[in-house]
Amino acid sequence: MDNTTVEKIIKEIERYEPKAEVEHVGRVVSVGDGVVAIDGLSKAVMGEVVEFEETKGKSLKDSMDPPAGGSGPLYGLLLNLEEDGVRATILGDSGRVSEGMTVKSTGRILSVPSGPELLGRVVNALGEPIDGKGPFKKPTMMLVERAAYGVIDRKSVSVPLSTGIKAIDAMIPIGRGQRELLIGDRATGKTTIAIDTVINQKNEPEETRPICIYVAIGQKESKTARIVQQLKEAGAFDYTIVVNAPASAPAALQFLAPYSGAAIGEYFMDRGRDALVIYDDLSKQAVAYRQLSLLLRRPPGREAYPGDIFYLHSRLLERAACLSEAKGGGSLTALPIIETQEGDVAAYIPTNVISITDGQIFLVSDLFNKGVRPAIDVGISVSRVGSAAQTKAMKSVAGTLKLELAQFRELESFMQFAQDLDKVTADRIASGQRMVEVLKQKNGSPMPMELQVVDLYAAVGKLYIEVPASRVKEAEAAWLEFISARHNRILEEIKESKTVSDALKKKLDKAMEEFKASHPEFFEQS
Amino acid sequence: MENNYAQALWRMIASGKEPGKVARQLREALTRKGRENLLPRIARAFKRIAEREQVRNTLTLSVSDVHPTHAKKEAKEILKAMNIALEDVEVRTDDELIGGWRLEGRESLYDASFKKHLLELYKRATST
Repeated sequence: MDNTTVEKIIKEIERYEPKAEVEHVGRVVSVGDGVVAIDGLSKAVMGEVVEFEETKGKSLKDSMDPPAGGSGPLYGLLLNLEEDGVRATILGDSGRVSEGMTVKSTGRILSVPSGPELLGRVVNALGEPIDGKGPFKKPTMMLVERAAYGVIDRKSVSVPLSTGIKAIDAMIPIGRGQRELLIGDRATGKTTIAIDTVINQKNEPEETRPICIYVAIGQKESKTARIVQQLKEAGAFDYTIVVNAPASAPAALQFLAPYSGAAIGEYFMDRGRDALVIYDDLSKQAVAYRQLSLLLRRPPGREAYPGDIFYLHSRLLERAACLSEAKGGGSLTALPIIETQEGDVAAYIPTNVISITDGQIFLVSDLFNKGVRPAIDVGISVSRVGSAAQTKAMKSVAGTLKLELAQFRELESFMQFAQDLDKVTADRIASGQRMVEVLKQKNGSPMPMELQVVDLYAAVGKLYIEVPASRVKEAEAAWLEFISARHNRILEEIKESKTVSDALKKKLDKAMEEFKASHPEFFEQS
Repeated sequence: MENNYAQALWRMIASGKEPGKVARQLREALTRKGRENLLPRIARAFKRIAEREQVRNTLTLSVSDVHPTHAKKEAKEILKAMNIALEDVEVRTDDELIGGWRLEGRESLYDASFKKHLLELYKRATST
């Protein structure tokens, strides 16, 4: 022990006034699978945090040593209030709890630390840092479970949250404060879209840039580590907080992680900032909650989920909001992710979350395997906020895009009879094929709004109609390079004004002609 | 089912009804319903409740072997406020307390042990 600590201890002893205060306690009667039955604690309240007393019967020296399986006190969360006791879930290593142990009521409802010092950090579901960068100095504690803002405190969603993904920003725009579901089978690119959205916020001005919170629920730790690395490499980690409740974490922590993420985001929303929370994914949270509920002996319902499984997700997603000016004007956007089995969107949890959110982006394995990435099924994807959350510039180029693509999908099946098709149908198919090519986008390469507008303007303006479909991506890259190098002013104007004026349209048309003349290799073959 | 019957039985007895009479009435009621086979299970559930209540209501005073009389005197003050005599409390000696006392039971815990105070000091000195 160094001198400073000794001096500190001496000072503390001098100031110390021992007090014997009464504490409300209970006794562990059984423990198993992360759930404890406690006798007593009759005055405890639902959702209260309780502390397990691990020092009873131990010597002072043993009590000072950190217990095996963790450091610091061990807490539990009361989830069942029963006739003759309570049931709680252990928020940590359940091996530290034994029968007969005293459990103290803390009178506290679970809360997590939040604040600017969490930016660029990885925390667990209890908000404790797990990245080895040390504890937080002065965090603000936020309640994990909090009632959502009411209608009076909210305003309509009107500011776009740019994802940097052309297919989404053009056809399924997301607004700040919206809840947009990402749904699809495993390995269809759901997380990729979410992470690209985080990376794309780098293109936003710092003062309006949303704070991003990525909540990993039941994921492999290697996957989360890879995402953190990707965010770091893209320079997006400085404005991001990662809440990690891996597959190896107790079910209680997997169930709590999304609420912790929402609480951390609410700190920024309450202070007038914009925040984006990604819940990856809520199917795993539902499974963790089912496990907890069954262990708590709550009656099982459909697919063995408890009766309040809808409320589990609705009370979480309802916390996403776009606040009125009187409340500071902040927002919390939610991007929940749901994994489907064999594309079954009519299953219990997917239908629940679809009905709660303000729209959904469906990702389809077939498209993914065909190389259409992001594999968004435009026909059934929707954003209920619609064009209210789109810049005028984007609206002017993307107006008919969704309809055209839907028509193309309808006609696609006739492609095998190509020689028998009339010219109008053949042209529509050719145009659709090129549009699909344009909307393809590599992962990790979100595109700023102005580039998207210029790109889509060219596509809608039939710049690529004469280019063979196989070379559209090449031509598109050349067009974007051409416009950035020779007509950068156009991009700046779109970025500043967020509109495409008639004058700008003329300039773009002229630039397209120039491009055709300077890149004949793309157009000669037709 | 048996837990509910046992719970009801316990409450009736706790409210001052005569145990023999209550048990007889329960047996008659079960016989009328043809459920007398529940009786052994109800008895076992009742026993569990009784044991639990006994543990819950037992007050344990742990004192260290350093100045135990002084510790008992201090604890007596607390017990007086609770209308409990020291004779009704189970007294134990616990060397791990280092000094002072600890009173536990009836969902309450008074910890006036030196061990607790020292641990608090240690936490405060090492936390910042």
